[in-house]
Amino acid sequence: MTGTVTAARSFPRSFDSLDEIFAFTAAFFSGHGLDRDLLPTVDLVLEELFTNMVKYSAGGAPSIRLEMAPAPPGVEVTLTDYDVDRFDVTLAPDTDINLPLEDRKPGKLGLHLIRRLVDSLQYEYSTDRRESRTTFRKTGARKAASGSI
Amino acid sequence: MLAMNFGADGAVVMSGRLDASQCPAALAFLEKVDGTVTLDCRGLDYISSAGLGVFLKTQKRLAGAGGKLRLTGVSRHLQDIFLYSGFDQIFEIEPAR
Repeated sequence: MTGTVTAARSFPRSFDSLDEIFAFTAAFFSGHGLDRDLLPTVDLVLEELFTNMVKYSAGGAPSIRLEMAPAPPGVEVTLTDYDVDRFDVTLAPDTDINLPLEDRKPGKLGLHLIRRLVDSLQYEYSTDRRESRTTFRKTGARKAASGSI
Repeated sequence: MLAMNFGADGAVVMSGRLDASQCPAALAFLEKVDGTVTLDCRGLDYISSAGLGVFLKTQKRLAGAGGKLRLTGVSRHLQDIFLYSGFDQIFEIEPAR
């Protein structure tokens, strides 16, 4: 994390942690006077990353650490997962979003989405410590979508 | 928290946050509807990829029987999510006014 960490907390490796995570991010945004329009995107990216860790690293440490630092008007966020295998979210393939309805299958959209919603996404892995760190920044500029509805 | 009910015009009204923890309840509700269904999203503040999966499952089921799911009152944030997901190609979407 490049900014100064001003809030950090560990959350149990469980889907049930989502409500507490969202309460944590909402309090952080309020406490630092950040742009609340960015909060749904920050929560979405966090949910995708966190639930991926719950689903695919079930044998990891009991909790996952969340750190937040202001990057006005947005934030820089790091999730650290301990005692896990490497899984570089920046290398996950895109999902084909142009398939017709009959060929679309639920799932595989999370990582596809977050790469389009954040300003930056970084992944680091320590083989010695079996520690995975995923950092993203969301500072406000909405990327232009490929079209409009 | 997520709330779902039927509006006076017969539309399904969804409000709150559709995150992974709310998806089983949302899917159970939508499994009860048939035909062409309007889903009023004016009060929907948040959706994750798990929630998108609920919409996609419902659309596939309804389309298989000649119906569809229409999404109305869609906020700018949700429009972005639907565009990045390609949902604009497989759903009829009406933006919020």
